Amino acid sequence: MLRSLALIPHLVGIYVRTRMEYRGAMLLAWLSQAFSYAAMYAAIAIIIFRFETLGGWAWPEMALLLAFHLLAYSLGAALSFVQFRDIEEKVRLGTFDAILVKPVGPWLFIAFSGLNIGYGGHIILALGLMIWSLTQVSADWTMLTALYFLAALISAAMLTAALMTMIGATALVWVRSRHLFSIFFGFWELARYPLNIFPLPLQVLMITFAPLGFLAFIPTAVALGKPVPLLGDWAGPASLAIGPLFVLIAMAHWRHCLRNYQGAGG
Amino acid sequence: MRLSAYPAFTTTAFQARLAYRNQVWASVFGELVATFAYIAIWTAAFAGASSVAGVSLPDMITYVLLAGSLLNWRTDRLINELGESVRTGDVTVFLLKPFQYPGFLAANHFGQYAFDQIVITLPVAIIVALTVGLLPPASLFHGLMFLPYAALSWLILFCLACLAGLLAFWLLTVFALEWFLRGIMALCSGAIVPLWFMPSQLAAALGYLPFAWVSYYPSAVYLGKLDAGQSWTHLGIGLVWLVALGSFLAWLWARARHRLVVQGG
Repeated sequence: MLRSLALIPHLVGIYVRTRMEYRGAMLLAWLSQAFSYAAMYAAIAIIIFRFETLGGWAWPEMALLLAFHLLAYSLGAALSFVQFRDIEEKVRLGTFDAILVKPVGPWLFIAFSGLNIGYGGHIILALGLMIWSLTQVSADWTMLTALYFLAALISAAMLTAALMTMIGATALVWVRSRHLFSIFFGFWELARYPLNIFPLPLQVLMITFAPLGFLAFIPTAVALGKPVPLLGDWAGPASLAIGPLFVLIAMAHWRHCLRNYQGAGG
Repeated sequence: MRLSAYPAFTTTAFQARLAYRNQVWASVFGELVATFAYIAIWTAAFAGASSVAGVSLPDMITYVLLAGSLLNWRTDRLINELGESVRTGDVTVFLLKPFQYPGFLAANHFGQYAFDQIVITLPVAIIVALTVGLLPPASLFHGLMFLPYAALSWLILFCLACLAGLLAFWLLTVFALEWFLRGIMALCSGAIVPLWFMPSQLAAALGYLPFAWVSYYPSAVYLGKLDAGQSWTHLGIGLVWLVALGSFLAWLWARARHRLVVQGG
């Protein structure tokens, strides 16, 4: 276990060095992605300025929600999205077999040998927006609230990585799983809006089978002292537990898929 | 190669999409969720008001489907296909074939667009119409006028996506270009927020840029927000934009072909 963990800096270092060979392209990618998200957020801001609030959320509160959404997603997806999206291709070509015979856990190898520093633009934009919005929202911030906010951010990032792992692992059994990522991103897009504006069935879905309500809305609402539909006072503890819980589920799913992997190409 | 051969590419692209049934179901589900989400967002924004700036909630629900699903189609496939063919050198194979590569791209992606509309958007529109309700065109004139506007919208977006993709000949990557275009379309096309709700100076500026002809103007015509005179005038301006973008595309394509250096194969 310790030997495997000691490998992580080397795996990350190799990948970062390869990406840094094309610095211009990487910086342009950061800039373009940050621009695209900023444009989307500007569109949301225009709606709120025109209508004053969205589901009872004013612009600074929405900005905090959007920043939390982008930051938690980026941290989780850097460790998982591209790596596990591409498992499908590895299975189809038979190159996943080569990963299985490496003297290191396949999840650890896949996640860290492709640790995506391409999310730099996301993270810079999210941090900037978060700092601005934190100075604008009228909430009583205590040390406990700040600690909760940080822990909920880590939990949300864990949830993202766990869901990506589960979707990617499904390709080991089904061979294809990219369409599941489309479903993930459908709910991911909803997760950047207040949950209370959606119909009840969608709210239930967003805190159960597609628990992306925990990605941003629930932690931000708890930190701002806003009511959380369905969960009420349980929202805070639930948002802290959801990340570790889904990591355990994802571990079980990953192992199940590995056990049932039969290969598809070569 | 005769022009009549291009529809074959459209048919092939349509049939190729049919092969991946799981992706179809996932796409319908994703589109349905996204459409209902935007309807929920506008319902929350209106918060019981019958109309805002002369626009009602039923107007906005219809606008969501027209401006988003129908008109603002996914250009990432086209841009990535162009970028990948430049990166791998496959573009040379297309240059050897007896057809115009941009013409092939247009035929191919029109097939994909037709597939998306028939198999994904149409079922979603039927479900929305039956559950929430969709408005018919404001009048027969506006309904008929919507057709050339929709064609113009597709062609302008195709030109914009091709221009972004062709820059791969110089930059050797389209990743950033695709994201830049995505951001521009999100804000400037009116696909998410119509120009009615934007600050007046911003709306005035965006109203003259070609992006507004992709989502905003066709939807506004359908909903009768432009009278007959305005509809003809804006159709004319849109056609001028199409000619300008098409000419620029033809010029860029001519330049791109002559600077092609293939490194792999």
